[in-house]
Amino acid sequence: MHTPTRRTILAGIAAITAVTALAGCGGGTSASASEQGSLGQELKDAKFIVGSKDFSESIILGQITMEMLRAHGAEVVDKTNIKGSTNTRTALTSSQIDMYWEYTGTGWVTYLKQTKPLADPEQQYAAVAKDDLAQNKVFWGTRAPLNNTYAFAIRKEKAAELGVTKLSDLAGLVKSKPAEATFCIESEFSTRDDGWPGVAAAYGLDVPKDNVKSVDTGLIYTETKKGSTCNFGEVFATDGRIASLGLTVLEDDEHFFPVYNAALTMRQETNAKYPQVETIMAPVAQKLTDQVMQSLNAKVDADGLEPRTVAHDWLAEQGLIKK
Amino acid sequence: MLRYLGTPLALAAVLLVLYLWVSGLALDSIEQRTLNWEYIHTRVLEHLRLTAVATLLVVIIAIPVGILLSRPGARWLSPVVLGLANLGQATPAIGLLALLTIQFGIGFTIALVGLIAYAVLPVLRNTIIGIQQVDPALIEAARGMGMTRGQVLRRVEIKLAVPVILAGLRTALVMAVGVATLATFVNAGGLGDIIVNGIKLQRTPVLVTGGVLTAVIAFFVDWLGSVTENALRPRGI
Repeated sequence: MHTPTRRTILAGIAAITAVTALAGCGGGTSASASEQGSLGQELKDAKFIVGSKDFSESIILGQITMEMLRAHGAEVVDKTNIKGSTNTRTALTSSQIDMYWEYTGTGWVTYLKQTKPLADPEQQYAAVAKDDLAQNKVFWGTRAPLNNTYAFAIRKEKAAELGVTKLSDLAGLVKSKPAEATFCIESEFSTRDDGWPGVAAAYGLDVPKDNVKSVDTGLIYTETKKGSTCNFGEVFATDGRIASLGLTVLEDDEHFFPVYNAALTMRQETNAKYPQVETIMAPVAQKLTDQVMQSLNAKVDADGLEPRTVAHDWLAEQGLIKK
Repeated sequence: MLRYLGTPLALAAVLLVLYLWVSGLALDSIEQRTLNWEYIHTRVLEHLRLTAVATLLVVIIAIPVGILLSRPGARWLSPVVLGLANLGQATPAIGLLALLTIQFGIGFTIALVGLIAYAVLPVLRNTIIGIQQVDPALIEAARGMGMTRGQVLRRVEIKLAVPVILAGLRTALVMAVGVATLATFVNAGGLGDIIVNGIKLQRTPVLVTGGVLTAVIAFFVDWLGSVTENALRPRGI
């Protein structure tokens, strides 16, 4: 079986990062960037390459990190917006980037190859942090309360019409009005244990196969808003589009979905050399709740602001950096 | 006849190696949901159906249009139509699918439209070129024998253009097999379901299986194309 060599993978990442770096240059230096060392010089002479995945939340978290590190005297290089979780993770483990925000659920299922998530957020975090450090030498910083887990969203008015507010209402709907029980999901969601097979079993949803449509992640939001292909869309709980498209999220009353708390990940050696990074970022992580993240995401996705500006303004508003 | 057997034998060997490799692995529950006969069988059939229907429609659309554009009276139209066909191929297929979806919803038909827009160019261009490259002396000779314009077109021009048209069709087929993997994003199934799953969940056996099956199908249809080409090529050239 021919698999791509390490060199081709690295070349791919180099190409991706080069493109992102160029894209970053286009924006020029933002006037809103915080001053280097404005809060101290703990990280003087340190240089960090900060990465992120390719969606707004991840980029905002990357920008928040860069603002904080810069304010503490570090030099930072922006390598945010890397295509796909796997590429971002490979960029970290192959030292193309020094840190990025990852989710506990993703670490558990995708990188540690586990199939059964843990229900308790703290336990899930502890398990991921322990195993990832032991197996892959990846350190997980303080866990943010924001939980970017899976959820099902529906148009507000349709939810009222059908009388559904929580996932356990769906079993009844499937029986009484099967034609209304239509779902849009991503293809990966259809095979994950913590995806469709699990949620259907946990809530006793016996949905006809044709009622479950597999579409691209971004299209789920527009299709759910239109409501012609599907009434229920599989969405991410902290996505800013939920509010801006007038959707509402059904409560996961059986607590089926795993927890996707965000945490800053870095290689073990980076944490050992610069433990200050964790000290600086911990108070920031603790302030990042679902509501905070939804509103920050909406500023980028709905209002069209730059992630860097959104990150800076929020940190300043919270008094975490000087204006 | 023997020279035709090389490709299918090689492809069968590749599939056998893939099968032996995957069946020797301990698959977790995520991998098992994709790597089972029923799932793979359905996806392969969906993929073949998409490719076949798209190619058939491309033939129906592109060859007559190509013939029409090669007529002296319609030559001025050809930059316009070729421009459109170029546009269809230059537009990223995934972007086109997303746009179509936002406008018209999802499903097999949408995936088909995207595929056709992508695959029409090679057949259209090769039809025009194939007919234009026919030696004018031959056409003159045919006219001299008393054939009408229509007869010349049917008996001389199209026949001599067949190898070039078929070469374009082979290119279109192979491209269609590749682009049909994007149908997964619009609920039209196909091997893209397996590939995207493998990538997103970082399950190498899943990704490799989807990729290898797509490649095997591409090689196989190309092989079918070459067999057809040899069968249809007019004798003497």
